[in-house]
Amino acid sequence: MDLELADDRLFFQQNTRRFLERESPLEHVRELHRTEHGFDPGWWRKAAELGWTTLLASEEDGGGSLSGAPLRDAVIVAEERGRLIAPGPFLPTNVVVSALSAGGDPALKEAHLPGLLEGDATAAWASSGLPDDLRVEARADGGEIVLDGTAPHVEAAASADLLLVVVRTGDGIAQVAVPRTHPGVTVVPGRSLDLVRRFARVRFEGVRVPRSHLIDGANAVERALQVALTLQAAESVGAMDRAFETTFAYMGDRYAFGRAIASYQALKHRVADMLLHLESAKATTDAAARAVDDANPEAGRLVRIAAAYVKDTAPTFVQECVQLLGGIGVTWEHDIHLYLRRVTVNRAVLGTPERYREQICVRLGV
Amino acid sequence: MTTTAPRPAEGQLESLDVFRDRARTFLAASMPRRTEGDGPVSMREAKELQAILFDGGFAGIAFPRRYGGAGLTLDHQTVFAEEAAGYRMPTPLAVSVAMMAPTLLDHGSDELKERHLPRMLRGEEIWLQLLSEPSGGSDMAGVLTRAARSGDDWVIDGAKIWTTGANHADYGMCLARTDLDVPKYSGLSMFAVPLDHAGVRIEPIVSADGGDPHFFQEFLDEVVLQDGNLIGPLNNGWAVAHTLLYHERNATAGVGHGRGYRAEADAGDATGSGIDDLIALSRAAGTSGDPVSRQLLAEAHISAVVARQVSDRVMTGIRTGAFEGEWGSLLKLGMGIDAPRRGEIGLAVAGEDGVVWDDEAGDNIDAHSVRWLVSRTIAIAGGTNEMQRNIVSERLLGMPREVAVDRAVSFRDVLARRADRR
Repeated sequence: MDLELADDRLFFQQNTRRFLERESPLEHVRELHRTEHGFDPGWWRKAAELGWTTLLASEEDGGGSLSGAPLRDAVIVAEERGRLIAPGPFLPTNVVVSALSAGGDPALKEAHLPGLLEGDATAAWASSGLPDDLRVEARADGGEIVLDGTAPHVEAAASADLLLVVVRTGDGIAQVAVPRTHPGVTVVPGRSLDLVRRFARVRFEGVRVPRSHLIDGANAVERALQVALTLQAAESVGAMDRAFETTFAYMGDRYAFGRAIASYQALKHRVADMLLHLESAKATTDAAARAVDDANPEAGRLVRIAAAYVKDTAPTFVQECVQLLGGIGVTWEHDIHLYLRRVTVNRAVLGTPERYREQICVRLGV
Repeated sequence: MTTTAPRPAEGQLESLDVFRDRARTFLAASMPRRTEGDGPVSMREAKELQAILFDGGFAGIAFPRRYGGAGLTLDHQTVFAEEAAGYRMPTPLAVSVAMMAPTLLDHGSDELKERHLPRMLRGEEIWLQLLSEPSGGSDMAGVLTRAARSGDDWVIDGAKIWTTGANHADYGMCLARTDLDVPKYSGLSMFAVPLDHAGVRIEPIVSADGGDPHFFQEFLDEVVLQDGNLIGPLNNGWAVAHTLLYHERNATAGVGHGRGYRAEADAGDATGSGIDDLIALSRAAGTSGDPVSRQLLAEAHISAVVARQVSDRVMTGIRTGAFEGEWGSLLKLGMGIDAPRRGEIGLAVAGEDGVVWDDEAGDNIDAHSVRWLVSRTIAIAGGTNEMQRNIVSERLLGMPREVAVDRAVSFRDVLARRADRR
């Protein structure tokens, strides 16, 4: 969490927080659990009006950041979303908007960006298995590109209007934009630990799109991954932050043996360690977002450090909250399991910390 | 622009950008660059480097000019540290310059400050702390060293321990009991003790690695001092010790006045892997291709980088006012957790080669294995992890304080109770 929010960014943060508290409190999140897509399209349009979808698009494309540091601005939203376990395809839509705006063909942008930016449409980023285990192949056939294969665990695919698919090409990897309803695309909805995020398996069978749907290059894929991992880490950090506040307050109110449980040294010491983990998670996520915004040549490593650290730390951290809350912490009634669900899904989706630690070794030349 | 902006007149605060340019020019012209394979900075070199910093106006950056400082702020210190990352810095003087000098600045009499601070900032006079005693480390206010009145003089008797670099030091800040008949925190005073004074004896402590002594023990036997040696008012020694511990945690964590003094470590984390030693160890042992070892190496790298990032975050928070209080303790806790873990990772990636070796093995294996033996030092010295956890939970987070049975009674009674137990 950024300690240097200028007034306009602070205002944006407060607005985002108020919007979420008003329009999607946790009771509402629990209700959405029973719906097909886990979010309300009307609500998503309101969120778009607040700027949730435009931060990572260029000004020429109708977007624009608040501060000239677009990912750090988007991180503000991601953190606030994490604090209230918000629904909606924020991460996938922003990753796709960012990739389209930076590398999309003009006609492709014109067809999709306005709808995405205004919140009338949403997008999904099919990237499972990146980079070694991609299971969708693309080949050129005349002026067209043909996709075959299956992408598992694609977030918000069933509700998305546009899919951006990371594919294996003859000589590398690339991304291809495919409308969800395109012939040959089959979306098989699945379930996840998260109450309101939906994931699906997407099959591509001889799917043909014009060549203009291709966003070429491993660099563009890497950039999209950096955006995705940073936003995901920020969301988990927000969840940790709120879970800590809730647990901390409870420890002051709960009495045992005539004193607040916050007064027991065995518990205070655990809380001290938790503060260290929380501040570390905030610091490394902030550093990752800065590195991406500044086009720091080490951004790839710094993003993976943040991803590995937060993916690893957040689930254990929230389980520590459960332990400190005691019996109520393992009930359906208490909200802490919403946080545990969110950060646990974030641990594995888009790659495990184990994968990113291995990649860090490669980047260090080990 | 080829010339550096002149140092601005007193009363007018130099902008960080102008200061940065001036610092960069000064460093390039005056300080030796770090190169690969450099050994650590010796105390002798540190004194030379500190004198160069002082003469260039870059020692005691956030100290007032009347005491030899640059009259700037801790933000300027941070900027200087960033610019100094590629240079050899007087790291061994961090205790004297970044812990003792700020404490003297906060509590010393004008006379003490005018006499000693410029010398300390120039590296001519080295100070250390005489706080811990053989009878108690974490419970520092329980000191047994007495300072008794004898006419107009004070006579100090006792023993101090765990002082770093006492073989090079000139002065010690000594916490002594001046009143037994009040509760323990209220009867302490801080004295400036010349270490070459009659009655002071210094002995080295050899640590478990069997290497050169880093820590020392001091015996004070009828050391006669005057009122002018008091730092802060009589019986106000705990407040001074508190300030000193605050500066110590900051200096250990590489924030505050000490920023830049750990340049070697800082630069390693910011630009390199921060774990070159572990990588070399793993390669030598043939484990760098093993998936488990690779996970551990990455973990160590992540810890090194995140430690730097959270330290930067704390510095930013202190500067913007978002953070108040003893955040250095949180960073010190992080170091106390990371260092032993790093030692464990070294053992894991080195395997058998880490504990049994011959002349064909590189120096690194030997060095790491032996370091492992003392890897808890940072988790103990300067306040144990447990004390930092108390500080973080009670002072930073405001959780209820531990019950203390020795708080409301005179120290004489505390001693009597202790005797009864035996």
